[in-house]
Amino acid sequence: MSQRAGNGAMPDGRSSATGGAGKLRPDGGLLARIALSAIVVGAGLAIVFAVLFLAVVSLRHRSVEARNSQQVIATANRVQTLVIDLETGVRGFVITHDERYLAPWREAQKQYPATIATLLRLTTDNALQHRRAVSIRDAVDTYLTTYSRPLVNFMRRNPSAAPTVVTSGQGRQQVETIRQGFDRFLNTERLLSESRNDRARATAQHAMVIGGLGLGAALLLISVGALYLHRAIARPLRLTADTAARIAGGDFSGRLPTGGPGEVGELERAFNTMAASLERTVADLEERNKALVESEEGKTELVSNVSHELRTPLASILGFSSLMLEREVPPDEMQRYLEVIRTEARRLAALLNDLLDLQRVEQRTLELRLDELDLNDLLATQVTLYSAQSDDHELHFSPSSEPLLVRGDRDRLAQVIGNLFSNAIKYSPEGGRVEISAELAGTDALVLINDSGLGIPPDHQDRIFTKFFRGDVGRERGIPGTGLGLVLARQIAEAHGGEVGFDSEEGVGSTFWVRLPAALPGGDRLAAGDDANVSHRM
Amino acid sequence: MAGFLATVLICDDEPSLRELIRISLDGPYSFAEADDGEKSLEIARRLRPDVVILDMMMPRLSGLEVLSEIRGDGELAETPVIVLTAQPSTKDEALRGGADIVMVKPFEPEEITAAVEEVLAGRR
Repeated sequence: MSQRAGNGAMPDGRSSATGGAGKLRPDGGLLARIALSAIVVGAGLAIVFAVLFLAVVSLRHRSVEARNSQQVIATANRVQTLVIDLETGVRGFVITHDERYLAPWREAQKQYPATIATLLRLTTDNALQHRRAVSIRDAVDTYLTTYSRPLVNFMRRNPSAAPTVVTSGQGRQQVETIRQGFDRFLNTERLLSESRNDRARATAQHAMVIGGLGLGAALLLISVGALYLHRAIARPLRLTADTAARIAGGDFSGRLPTGGPGEVGELERAFNTMAASLERTVADLEERNKALVESEEGKTELVSNVSHELRTPLASILGFSSLMLEREVPPDEMQRYLEVIRTEARRLAALLNDLLDLQRVEQRTLELRLDELDLNDLLATQVTLYSAQSDDHELHFSPSSEPLLVRGDRDRLAQVIGNLFSNAIKYSPEGGRVEISAELAGTDALVLINDSGLGIPPDHQDRIFTKFFRGDVGRERGIPGTGLGLVLARQIAEAHGGEVGFDSEEGVGSTFWVRLPAALPGGDRLAAGDDANVSHRM
Repeated sequence: MAGFLATVLICDDEPSLRELIRISLDGPYSFAEADDGEKSLEIARRLRPDVVILDMMMPRLSGLEVLSEIRGDGELAETPVIVLTAQPSTKDEALRGGADIVMVKPFEPEEITAAVEEVLAGRR
């Protein structure tokens, strides 16, 4: 059994244990399979019990036969005793003339017919013995009619007759013949009895063996049935419970092997669907939680950054105004101080504007004043502005050959370009050249801003458009910023139907690009459809 | 006090702040200026100033890194360093790094004057 169970536990053992039922109804429900296995086990048990029943019936038959022989022998002995009683009764009376001796003789004659009839009846199933019983009866009848009764009558009539007559010849001869008949009959019946006993014993042994085998077969059938139920139901359920416990413990990767029968298979598939759904939900929640935490960290960092960005211009404003109030300052110096104060105050205002812009963009309340403008002009202005901010950087601008018209909010687009210029300068701390170019690319105006600065580390590249995100390098090197410039640039470009992107290699530099839909002079935006219509009309 | 000429190295990437400090320290000082961390360290090693005024957030080398270099340099280790920071939370870090005085921006002109005089008095 254990060997079978061992095989059955292997994954491919299923078909060998339940193949018959499986082939009959491969897609049957669990109930059908259980019913089928119950029928198979029941039928098997019925066969086992039928064989056992036949064995018991056979044993009973043999026992009856054996008992019958015993009865035959007992009855034959009884008949023989009666015959002896007849003989001795006659002999005693003849010798003594005493009537008392005739009591057993009369009694024997009275009992004899019933007894011999019993013997004849008992031997009806055996022709040979029956014939012998009949010949015994005939011999006894002959003895009684031709010898015993006539002799008693003669002796009563002639009390003086010599007993020699009695003892001579005829009677003795007849009794001897009867005795020999009995001998043959009893010998045969004893042999028969022995052989019947032997057969009964053999049958009993057979029945015991069959009973043992039947018991074994029944156990085997029940075990196979139980094993099937275990494999089809209990084991999948156990596995389901274990996997559910693992999922409850936080390991959401657990899945069940599918292919169980009927409802078990349905349970397995439903369980896997549920587990997959749970895993997705948990991953989603973790992702959202991470985003929330990052957002919170971003806010904390914003407060810190804003604090820094506010304190630096405030230091100049406070310092210079205090100097003017507390010290004697020559008028030309005073003019200079006031300029510094104004510049720094504007810087503060710009920072606050950035924060407010971001809030508007986030709440989708940013208003755009759309005008038709040439990006070349806008870029040239910004190049001049930002070139003045750094002695170490050279901003080189290659405008497009034709005017590059777009419809947009001049100040907002200047903000986009300004933020990208500012970044190109800030993230090239060694100084160097910033290449700026503008061109018409299909139906889009494309601006490229290329620096040979620090570049963006690969692990930062998918985060630089995240609010408040500032690269480690920026912070380590003290590059100022709020982490809002790129977010604003992208949001504003998108509000214009455009986009901002970049290509960067750490240590080599970055190229940021702005793509905006181009506009026809004095008309609508240049779009693919419009373009086709125009050429069609021409 | 009269006639003493102390050399003050002002390290800040904001030109207006360097100017402010320079004007605020209206006394017998000569000035040197640096607008990033590397230049700060290079000038400090060359000039061996009497006082270093060091901004925390500077390009290339942060103020903390410059401070650490100064404190680890045999010839500069004893130089008084006044650290300027726009982040109050970094004050303790600067003090642990060996700053004599840490000032949080914004500050009054008199405060920086007093700080420089204090560290110079302590040195003598």
